[in-house]
Amino acid sequence: MTSSHEVASPSGASQQGTPGAAPAIITASGLGVRFRRNRGARRSFKDLFAGKQRRAHTGEFWALRDVSFTVHAGEAIGVVGRNGQGKSTLLKLVAGVLLPDTGHVTVHGGVAPLIELTGGFAGDLTVRDNIHLTAGLHGLSRAELAERFDSIVEFAGAEGVLDTPFKHLSSGMKVRVAFSVVSQLDEPVLLVDEVLAVGDKAFRTKCYRRIDALLTEGKTLFLVSHNERDLRRFCSRGLYLDQGELQLDGPIDDVLNRYNAEHNS
Amino acid sequence: MTSPADTRRHRAPGSPRASAWRSLRLLTVRDLKVRYATSVLGYFWSILDPLLMSLIYWFIFSQLLPRSLGEEPYIVFLLTAMLPWVWFNGAVGDSTRAFLRDVKLVRSVALPRWIWVARIVCAKGVEFLLSLPVLVLFALINGASVNWYILLFPLGIILMGALILGVGLILAPLVVFFRDLERAAKLVLRVLFYASPVIYGASDLPAVVAPLAWANPLSGIFALFRAGFFPDQLNWALVGVSSAITAVTLLVGILVFRRSVGGVLKEL
Repeated sequence: MTSSHEVASPSGASQQGTPGAAPAIITASGLGVRFRRNRGARRSFKDLFAGKQRRAHTGEFWALRDVSFTVHAGEAIGVVGRNGQGKSTLLKLVAGVLLPDTGHVTVHGGVAPLIELTGGFAGDLTVRDNIHLTAGLHGLSRAELAERFDSIVEFAGAEGVLDTPFKHLSSGMKVRVAFSVVSQLDEPVLLVDEVLAVGDKAFRTKCYRRIDALLTEGKTLFLVSHNERDLRRFCSRGLYLDQGELQLDGPIDDVLNRYNAEHNS
Repeated sequence: MTSPADTRRHRAPGSPRASAWRSLRLLTVRDLKVRYATSVLGYFWSILDPLLMSLIYWFIFSQLLPRSLGEEPYIVFLLTAMLPWVWFNGAVGDSTRAFLRDVKLVRSVALPRWIWVARIVCAKGVEFLLSLPVLVLFALINGASVNWYILLFPLGIILMGALILGVGLILAPLVVFFRDLERAAKLVLRVLFYASPVIYGASDLPAVVAPLAWANPLSGIFALFRAGFFPDQLNWALVGVSSAITAVTLLVGILVFRRSVGGVLKEL
């Protein structure tokens, strides 16, 4: 199911450069993830001592099954599908925060994941501490951060709250700070999971502009969204997931048309 | 099941960014900062707990009851094992929540997974080191004599760190699947305190229960911590057995962790 899209696409046509000539930056082959259906039910001590074969495997389903694709540097990919069809799971696999049961995904270079944005922030620490910590965990060196610190703060509009404990910020400001840090990581791959829907209108416009700028710089974008406008605006290529399987890998317009046709929305 | 051994490398080879050790340091500092940011007394809390415990046991066993346990000065004897015990107790207790406490962080940052356990060992280890001045103070006040075995102290720290890491690597993922383990661990820790040579020395045990001391890796480790003040506590055979048990624990921990971490990430 490897994509033939980059071969078919006229090179140099999109704003994202020439995918055909760019090196592969994300390679996924045969990706599969299995979840237990009754996620709420914890196993008890009894299961611990039961043999592996005696544990019920009936409640399991494949959130993703045999998904393969290759992304080239500079491409902008939109992942399309209904709720629960494996979109976020796929993004987590690429981000490396979930491990596949079958197959593998390779990312050449770092990723800047705009997932669970404010999750990594410690409420009791100041905004300044949190910026240092998050940037550090995502691999920014001290010198690099020192260079970018001011622009991170300025982008978020957080000059006045630098020494305020993070928990005292408004939820909008939390997201702004988080987005600002992660989008300044300067990683070659940007993973975005629906965050564009947050923040007020002015900040949303700012985010859009930042993503446009990153795309122009030649970054690779991997976007999960239900918003057709966002998808058409940023992405050149789409992945359509249904029932955990990759149904279509092609130009974003084709993918959206097929999705709309199948789910008449 | 894919083992985490073939976890994807996100960083290009040779990239200076994001070494695991740097992340470990960042998270350790974060844990300590969070702990100290929320309390006025901060640092003193980490000394207060072992100090209070030691004073209570010192009062009971050297003032109230005729004492036949341990060695003089008894308060120093207590502290040499109590301070490492507080490290062990705190870190093992916290490791049951290694993934659960910072669930969103684990879900959003791709780090080598063992760091989530190791940062707890390190944070509690730093608190242990910070509490050592208390030991020095009481040793000076009581005029405890120091011998060259004090050089074994760092060896004790290394073995203790390895043991806690091993136990943590087993506990942390299993608690995610079996939540009752969290309570079970607390119970076991309470029993283990009395089963370990903290308020007594390994040699004080009657012959009937002596095998207990040999099966408990903490006996040999506490012996190393104590040897600098109480050379009679040092039993090389015991230290050897304890080191072996520690190595096995760490090995089992690594295996359990590798087998289960994929499932843990799905469960979070």
